[in-house]
Amino acid sequence: MFGLRLALPAAVRCGGARGTSRSGPLGVSRVLQTFVPFSKPSLSAGVFVSKRGYAEASGKFSREKPHMNIGTIGHVDHGKTTLTAAITKVLSEKGGAKFTDYSQIDKAPEEKARGITINSSHVEYETDKRHYGHIDCPGHADYIKNMITGAAQMDGAIIVVSASDGQMPQTREHLLLARQVGIKKLVVFINKVDQIEDDEMLELVEMEMRELLSTYNFDGENTPIVMGSALAALESRNDEIGSEKIRELVKSCDEWLELPPRDFDKPFLMPIEDVFSISGRGTVCTGRVERGVINKGDEVEILGLGSSLKTTLTGIEMFHKELDRGEPGDNMGALLRGVKREQVRRGQVICAPGSIKSVKKFQAQIYVLTKDEGGRYTSFMQNYRPQLFLRTADITVSLTFPEGTPDAAEKMVMPGDNVEMVCDLVHDCAAEVGTRFTLREGGKTVGTGIVTKIFT
Amino acid sequence: MLRRFVAPSTARACSSALRCYSSAQRPKPSIKLLGELRKLTETSISKAREALVATNNDLDAALKWLEEDLAVSGAKKAAKVEGRTAGEGLVGVSILSPGLGERKEGIRASMVELNCETDFVARNELFSKLLADISHTFAFLAEEPHDFEQQPVLLREYSVDTILDAPLIPSDVTAIPSNTTSVGTAIRDTIAKVGEKIALKRAVAAVMQGASPDERNIDSGARIASYVHGSTSHPSQGRVGSLALIYLKSPNLSKLYKDEAFRTELEKLERGIARQIVGFHTESIYETKETPETALYEQPFAMFPGEYNGQPFRDVLQKWATKHGMIDEGYKDFQGVAVSEFAKWTVGEPLPVNASSVKSAISEGTQ
Repeated sequence: MFGLRLALPAAVRCGGARGTSRSGPLGVSRVLQTFVPFSKPSLSAGVFVSKRGYAEASGKFSREKPHMNIGTIGHVDHGKTTLTAAITKVLSEKGGAKFTDYSQIDKAPEEKARGITINSSHVEYETDKRHYGHIDCPGHADYIKNMITGAAQMDGAIIVVSASDGQMPQTREHLLLARQVGIKKLVVFINKVDQIEDDEMLELVEMEMRELLSTYNFDGENTPIVMGSALAALESRNDEIGSEKIRELVKSCDEWLELPPRDFDKPFLMPIEDVFSISGRGTVCTGRVERGVINKGDEVEILGLGSSLKTTLTGIEMFHKELDRGEPGDNMGALLRGVKREQVRRGQVICAPGSIKSVKKFQAQIYVLTKDEGGRYTSFMQNYRPQLFLRTADITVSLTFPEGTPDAAEKMVMPGDNVEMVCDLVHDCAAEVGTRFTLREGGKTVGTGIVTKIFT
Repeated sequence: MLRRFVAPSTARACSSALRCYSSAQRPKPSIKLLGELRKLTETSISKAREALVATNNDLDAALKWLEEDLAVSGAKKAAKVEGRTAGEGLVGVSILSPGLGERKEGIRASMVELNCETDFVARNELFSKLLADISHTFAFLAEEPHDFEQQPVLLREYSVDTILDAPLIPSDVTAIPSNTTSVGTAIRDTIAKVGEKIALKRAVAAVMQGASPDERNIDSGARIASYVHGSTSHPSQGRVGSLALIYLKSPNLSKLYKDEAFRTELEKLERGIARQIVGFHTESIYETKETPETALYEQPFAMFPGEYNGQPFRDVLQKWATKHGMIDEGYKDFQGVAVSEFAKWTVGEPLPVNASSVKSAISEGTQ
């Protein structure tokens, strides 16, 4: 079910980027109709979902519990899949999950998110407090693609380590990855404890793990470490190391891993898709509310494309009806006080004053699409200038390597690469760390990225 | 799926039986020493414990025990992971001698692909060091082709099995080579540490003896250019790699080669060529099939920054040679710079069926 939630924003954003050609004729008709909001993207989302086969008859997705995406990271033999199966089994006893056996967990099928092929397997389950989307990827590159595209942004992770091996040389790489994708808190599951009889040895595994966590700037001291056997839980034996420990693990996730702020709680932001002037009323901007809540009469700021102005939102309308309040996901029209039609345009954003800055230069983690994904088939070097699509803005950008990169003048970027680059925009636009964008050239999507650092 | 379920449980039964036996007779291992042993060797917890039990908590003896045990347990581990797919890894290049130069003229270079199961392991230091040692060993030991007359190609692919038995020569020159470590055992030892299948997939080398010092008035020479893309830690290892044989001919060559500025510019061009082969979809040197842009000489030279950027590859080589004084009006033969052979590998790609991955201008029919 959570696929729907994930697919929706992505599909909408793509729609936004492609929408340029449509605004012309549609815009005219809308002026005649007066003040009608935009409503186009639901179609593409529907297609996406049916393709992934999520529309099961089992029931409706309940929004009562907060949703969170977590992942499992660990060595191939340490029992990640067994643990995932065990979690679904234990939680299914309380109706919080559909039991997915080891053999049914698809080993990282290929899927497409924003046109990019990612290998990852998904399951979902519910605890008393939360609804979890759980992903597992075969490799570093897939987790990075997930982060860049936002297909399944991990808000936390479970590191799985076998008690008989202890941490492995590559556990360092697992923790570095978690850092890189922006995970701040982890839970550790020490698996296969039934293979070790000596409690002191388990303590050593734990001690080593805490030390390593601290080395990589995680809270080694307080990170919950749960010791158990996923296999025991799966085979319903030795409950004291099996199902009980699984319950302890999910409880630790509930308590230790922090929920990302909900869109509702963030400051208001709506990208402008279209602008109309309505006689007798004034200037109206339409768009889909990305985050935050806005009330009639609130102060707002309009940012981007070389201008910045403050005004008051004097009216909100949706489906020809007036509203007092706009919420995330709403396709609304915003009536602005004292603003001329020429002063605002597509590509700017309406936001809570001071909540976001308009920037011209930032650093980003970029994935360059391969030929098979519809991207370029040749490499490029620095000073490459594609078009950057960020929300509804479409701006020429120049890409260079971050300062201090050795041999930057001779460095190249190949399709399929994940690369950190500095983006120099021709015009400024509203962006912050975590904002996603796509790069296009000659009608092709050549890359997609996420802002990692703002230069002021 | 069945096999994976069965295997661990039988293994567990064996090991627990072993443990009962040993704990009944031997002392408890010291946890402090266990921690130290782990820091020193990166061995697994249970192995480290076994070592301490066997040696009665003597750290030095335990280290020795582990070293001796590695042959047995490493082989066991290697056999266990044998059937798995290793589709990740790195391509590593080692160039001991790049060819025509100030002192040395010979060529000694190698490129090898080493595979593992996940890119986590590929990014790890242990794996990177293993690959550096293997490519160094191979570049060091590869022999000059004896049938060059019949088969005039310098870049040769070698059977992986012959390399596995070779003694490992560490790339770090300060390290003392051990008599007992071969490439094969070094791979096995790393398998024991990281617990993934590691396999040497393929290897190519170029070896050419240099001319003797009294023949130094020369008008032609060869050099090896290389590029690796997607390096994580080691600058000569990455996801994609290329080795290219560059042929130089000019009556002024020996004079030009004394000029440091010429050498610097030439190296820049060489890096550009090796990068072009990787950065574009390059499948041949001249030969064009349906898609001309897969032939190196038909491509725009986009991976060579500077004044010639983006101009046709063929023209750039000519212009470059003219600009740098390689062309002599009175000389009849070919003059300038040419690419005569190359190999380009991407990690995890399927091996070409019944064909060499080395492209040679001669086998394509020189123009």
